[in-house]
Amino acid sequence: MRRRTPLAALAGLALLAARQAPLRGEAPATGLPPLEAPYPLPPLPAVSPRIANYTIEARLDPEKHTIEGTLVLDWRNSSSVALQDFPFHLYWNAFQNNLSASARGGGRRAARLRDERDYGWTRVRGIRLLGEAEEDLLPTLRYGTSDDPDDRTVAQVRTSRPVAPGATARFRIEWSSQVPYGRIGRAGWVHDYHFVVQWFPKIGVYWKGAWNCHPFYANTEFFADFGVYDVSLTLPRGFVVGATGRQTDKRENPDGTETLRFVQEDVHDFAWTASRRFLERKARFDDPGYPPVDMRLLLQPEHASLAERYLAAAKITLRSYGAWAAPYPYPSITVVDPAWGSSSGGMEYPTLFTGGANVLAPPALQSPEGVTIHEAGHQFWYGLVANNEFEEAWLDEGFNSYHTEKAALLALGPKGWGRRYFDPALGRGARGGIPVVAPGVWLARGEDDREGLRKDGRTDVMARRGWEYRTPEAYRVNSYGKPALVLQTLEGLVGDETMTRILRTYARRFRFAHPTTQDFIATVNEVTDKDWRWFFDETFFSSNLCDYGISVENREARVLEGFAEKGGRMEWHAPARDGKKGAASWESEVSVLRLGEVRLPVEVLVEFADGTTRSETWDGRERWARFRYAGPARVVRATVDPDGKIALDLKPANNAWIEETGPARRAATKWASRFLFWLQNLLELQLLVG
Amino acid sequence: MSAILGALGEGFAAAWRNRGLAVVVVLVSLGLAAVVAAPLAVSVAHDLEHTGSSVEMMYGFDHGWWKEWSERQTGPSAALGPDLLGVGFAAKNLDLLLRGHLPLGLFTGPREAADSGNEPAPGIDPVILGLGALYLLAQTFLTGGLLGVFREPAGRWTFRGLVHGSGFYAGRMLRVMLLALLGAGIVFALHAPVARWANAHAREAVSETTALAWYLGHYALLLLALVLVHMVSSFAKVIVVVEERSSALLAVVSSLGFCRRRLGRALAQYAVVAALGALLLLTWGSIDGRFEVTGYKSQILFLALAQVFVLGRVGLRLALLAGQVALYRRAP
Repeated sequence: MRRRTPLAALAGLALLAARQAPLRGEAPATGLPPLEAPYPLPPLPAVSPRIANYTIEARLDPEKHTIEGTLVLDWRNSSSVALQDFPFHLYWNAFQNNLSASARGGGRRAARLRDERDYGWTRVRGIRLLGEAEEDLLPTLRYGTSDDPDDRTVAQVRTSRPVAPGATARFRIEWSSQVPYGRIGRAGWVHDYHFVVQWFPKIGVYWKGAWNCHPFYANTEFFADFGVYDVSLTLPRGFVVGATGRQTDKRENPDGTETLRFVQEDVHDFAWTASRRFLERKARFDDPGYPPVDMRLLLQPEHASLAERYLAAAKITLRSYGAWAAPYPYPSITVVDPAWGSSSGGMEYPTLFTGGANVLAPPALQSPEGVTIHEAGHQFWYGLVANNEFEEAWLDEGFNSYHTEKAALLALGPKGWGRRYFDPALGRGARGGIPVVAPGVWLARGEDDREGLRKDGRTDVMARRGWEYRTPEAYRVNSYGKPALVLQTLEGLVGDETMTRILRTYARRFRFAHPTTQDFIATVNEVTDKDWRWFFDETFFSSNLCDYGISVENREARVLEGFAEKGGRMEWHAPARDGKKGAASWESEVSVLRLGEVRLPVEVLVEFADGTTRSETWDGRERWARFRYAGPARVVRATVDPDGKIALDLKPANNAWIEETGPARRAATKWASRFLFWLQNLLELQLLVG
Repeated sequence: MSAILGALGEGFAAAWRNRGLAVVVVLVSLGLAAVVAAPLAVSVAHDLEHTGSSVEMMYGFDHGWWKEWSERQTGPSAALGPDLLGVGFAAKNLDLLLRGHLPLGLFTGPREAADSGNEPAPGIDPVILGLGALYLLAQTFLTGGLLGVFREPAGRWTFRGLVHGSGFYAGRMLRVMLLALLGAGIVFALHAPVARWANAHAREAVSETTALAWYLGHYALLLLALVLVHMVSSFAKVIVVVEERSSALLAVVSSLGFCRRRLGRALAQYAVVAALGALLLLTWGSIDGRFEVTGYKSQILFLALAQVFVLGRVGLRLALLAGQVALYRRAP
């Protein structure tokens, strides 16, 4: 904060001096921890368990928006029990009719089916168990779950003989799909843009002694086992195709189509996209110490000017997340700029993700940088650690949001504030309007999250299964904003270095391992050598909110009036006449208030008129604490949490008390003048109709 | 072109000669706006008292404080935000106008639910809309007096003359204004299906650029239609005063005929004034973003500059009005 005299303001006006803008662009290496840690870390696994391995052949008809596919799944029973029932996700049946769990749900991802083109589905034409005991499993196919009998996004088959522990079952599935319209869900087509995700029959995860294969709910995301994907895609020539993994082969067919083969080991999903309109840009991330990554950007022609910003943001992610967790191990990454009208933006898939941009994109608003860093960042949590997003979404979205905000602030500086005008509210996938940036207004880290927490933080306990939150807003705040603030608070309490060590340990130990919240808490306790369960009880497992406040009362110190014993007799001290007091001395009381329910230890900084300071700590267990001071100087400023460690504090504005009231009056007149000016102009403009 | 510039030049000369009129108009606007701004100042001072954010808000803008504060606001104070900074206020106002947030909330239509992820631009408080109606009435009242001054080729204003002229023509001005509101209402009513049609094309566009052209295009069309309504209304007021017409309706009819015959010239005047207005706005934007308002002295400077801007804007309006008188008088 800079203080300027009015004279300086006048000089500033006269000179029209350009204001300093934060440095933007690619991240400097400074501010990131060295890749080589000075402490022991768990080794990174070379390969994943490779439980579900798919060989897929699929053909896209871009005119009818249909896919005909055949897959061979080699699934290894890694459990200790023999299994006979096998559930498969058929996600696109969420768009089959209005009875699906997704169509019944709310929020921005729910299936809102209106026109015939909106609908999509997956129909299994055949499913066989291959091998010596080959059998047709189609007659055993049944849909629905006990929770949701109408939903057809999960189907089960039953083999006549169980698959023994350690054994591998080979399934062959033939299916037909209608691609839904692109405004409806994450997958879909818009004109010739096809974004094909969650598109093939996909086996559930046998986890914690049971099958984990939930329906496709409106809000929840995904969970799958790692494996090797070998996918051959056939479609008409002329399309630019992006997909998970690396392209290993391309074959032209006599019927005017071509077949492209993509292979990727150690991923848990496969996504692809095709469009004739894509512009292709390539870059390479090869920072010292990191495995090199070939970057491919597929973007809309109207966004060509944003190519460098997309790629720079993706590099920021690979660099910073790699340092804070563990380096990105795959040799390639594909960034997809979604088509106008498609709601496929802002989603993550292994080695491929979507951003989202506007033609008009002032750098201060950090778009597309923000979404690019976030979606690229998913590679490190959703992609490589791979928690169960259905049941513990915050382990991906929350961790990722925490790192996104940290990385963006470090690399790009604070985000500006702006608003889009003349936005015709065209619906999903249509990010319109003309942005206007407010000069000199910057958002602090976590500010958006706090706003969400203030609005919806009490609706639900954070740690709930994704589809069980009362509202879509509660899902959002508890999966994204709140866990990000919890981690930022933990960082404040344990320190940045320890936090990095925690996340590095967690990311390495649980790479390819489907960890849970308990695994993370155990990691925190192990690294810090302290029991932090109380902290997570206050935050992860609670709907309580956090707010600290502070107030101060200064009084002139009392001078003795009345009788006092001295030398064995009572001595009279007359009251000061005319209210005059003795020597200047002050008694000050600083009251720190816990206004929210969350109890966290806080620091207090007290500043006195003579320039001296006192630092206090308070465990935050009671509702308030009072600190008394007597001395020659009164308190002029008192701040609870002066270093801003408690990011969860909903109202940081009430964390500092100052004695002066002049700034409040001046600030009030300043902003009222601004308001006055705006209103005068509004009144003038409204005359246009009279 | 020379005729257009000549008439407009005459208008600017008349507005300059009677610059005191602009000051009167600005004082009316200042007085009305202060009715809402003064309580806001008291409220903000109270909410910021003894907080660290008061210092932040004095030297800059504490977004964290404002956000939490604005969540608790209802009424006119809810409109205080960073969108008023720089040229944002003008974008906000134009957006409000094109969405029909006009005096008394006339023409505010239902808005499709925003599902695009963008934070929708907020609406406007009824108190402010009521104030807009009052201002419209006040300015309609003053228009008769203003035209009475501009009617004379070298006329100079007196306060008594202004009040007398305003009172004398008040009834007819009010009727023309009501007819103009009816015209604006028809424009907004017609715009609704056009907007739906254009937005449907925007939604189905292949590229964002095409979509942008569709949805900004219908807003531009709406703005043009409102300008045409204003033009007809304004020339009708001119005709009432210049020709001493007693019927507002017939004056509007005559104005329609005049505007049809002189459409290019009449529109060109608007274009020149709009270009000058845009220049004024850009100048404001470049100044506003470059100096910091903190203590009372810089605040007084800001207020003075702001009033100069408003004065310039009112001056342009008066110059247009005087230019319209000149154009009408010059018409064969």
